[in-house]
Amino acid sequence: MTMHKVDTGVIESCRQGDREALRVIFEAYKDKVYSLALCYLNGDVAAAKDLTQEVFIKLITRLEQFRGDAEFTTWLYRVVANACLDERRKGRRWFSLEDSVEVGHMVVRKSLETLQLQKEMADGVKSAVAQLKPKLRIAILLKYFDDLSYQEIASVLGCSVGTVASRLNRGHRMLARKLAHLRNSMNAGD
Amino acid sequence: MLERHVARQLTAYCHQELTAAEFSRVQQHLEVCEPCRREYDNIRATVDLASQLGLQEAPDSLWGDVVRGLDHAPVTSPGAPVGAARPVWARWALTGAALLLISALGAGWYHWRLSRPSWEVARLEGKPKVGWSAIGETGRIAVGDWLETDSSSRALISVGDIGEVEVDPDTRVRMVQARDTEHRLRLARGTLHVTISAPPRYFVVDTPSAVATDLGCMYTIEVNRDGIGHLNVQYGWVAFELNGRESFVPADATCETRPFVGPGTPHYEDAPAELVASLRRFDFENGGGPELAIVLSNARKADAFTLWHLLARTAGEARSRVYDHLADLVPAPEGVTREGILRLDRDMLDLWWNALGLDDASWWRIWKGPFPQSPQ
Repeated sequence: MTMHKVDTGVIESCRQGDREALRVIFEAYKDKVYSLALCYLNGDVAAAKDLTQEVFIKLITRLEQFRGDAEFTTWLYRVVANACLDERRKGRRWFSLEDSVEVGHMVVRKSLETLQLQKEMADGVKSAVAQLKPKLRIAILLKYFDDLSYQEIASVLGCSVGTVASRLNRGHRMLARKLAHLRNSMNAGD
Repeated sequence: MLERHVARQLTAYCHQELTAAEFSRVQQHLEVCEPCRREYDNIRATVDLASQLGLQEAPDSLWGDVVRGLDHAPVTSPGAPVGAARPVWARWALTGAALLLISALGAGWYHWRLSRPSWEVARLEGKPKVGWSAIGETGRIAVGDWLETDSSSRALISVGDIGEVEVDPDTRVRMVQARDTEHRLRLARGTLHVTISAPPRYFVVDTPSAVATDLGCMYTIEVNRDGIGHLNVQYGWVAFELNGRESFVPADATCETRPFVGPGTPHYEDAPAELVASLRRFDFENGGGPELAIVLSNARKADAFTLWHLLARTAGEARSRVYDHLADLVPAPEGVTREGILRLDRDMLDLWWNALGLDDASWWRIWKGPFPQSPQ
């Protein structure tokens, strides 16, 4: 999957305060921003809506800071990543220990239909990802929601490619332990 | 000699983000290394599962929320003004004085440094520093030196012949000792990823709130700017101790440590959330009976090792309750009595530990004893 290219004319119109131009950008990226926020915030719909709204407001009010020396998508995801990481500093409930679900337990309890199982797998993965530490979590989500390369993730997060590789590796090793039950159920055909 | 395992490169290998040479090396290593191949299978399966993260459609009402927010958005302010510059003569005077001082100290320091034991440090990213100087592709850290990384740098310390320590960004660590039977670092802040292949006690990390003693393992240790630490063990065991308060942390378990308190009670990373939260309050917030009750009621059979640690951290009626719950999870073996456990008989505690299905207690008791004396 390649990074999207936003027309420079649309960006310039946005800079002029054109709401319709912002609407174009909004429609192009709303699902990805919302999905990333929703997964980061462990399914908290209200918080994900707030964060998505915050991202697009920042987009238009700070667009003069985008100098065109990077891909627009890199800059957009930088705003998203900073908003996600700021969630913790704001003291919002980004992850409640009381809300966490034992991943393996979900699969054992419900139906064995394939589609249902796939939904449960996806829910289990989202839950496990939401339990990661913020820096590991945001790297995982940037990789899997838009298939960003390590270099692109490094540009978004303002760190080195090596740091991205290290965070992704640690994140995957932690996910591997948390998702062991899902893998066992998948292999057993449950 | 420590093998060059490829655990750190496996995710990048799955994502095809390695150079051709690195990819080939990992591929060849996986053909001959069973532990790395098992780890690769785990990572590969996790990549496949994570790839199922799908997009969710944003609610229709969101655009309206954005428009309403824009109508009330504040105007961004310009950047802060630049501070006043120092007079030119003062800058030159300071620079000259600093150069003289550095020159005078440098010669004596260089001579002293050459005579100290040292380890190799490899630059992984950015410009990690040893002392005042950024290292090149490789450098050396000697006893007494500080290694510091900023937000964009990482480093790899080769700990003699027994292992390596990966140093994350924003980390400050000092080399304290480098002898045949004692290799010691002091972690002031930041994160270290440790891989050691050596007998117990050969590698130690001091932190502001506990000492981590390697018992043959792979682990991550993190200290924040308040001195609060976290230990996560991926393989093997780590002993975590301060002033006689000790925790033994096995693979897939974690332990938090706080200044003036020391290590908390270790637990598995996948322990029930209620148990983890109450355990933290019990360890560090004077949680007492109510929190202990929550821990006990949520403990699984696998959490027996956590309850085993709680025996020594409780007294009187509370210790009796811990005993009863632990006995329900893992019956006390032959040779262990209730009375003996309640008075913390060491031999009986070790017998019960051996019944938990973890490593034999005698193996890690080695670290408590004195080193064998060399023959005369």
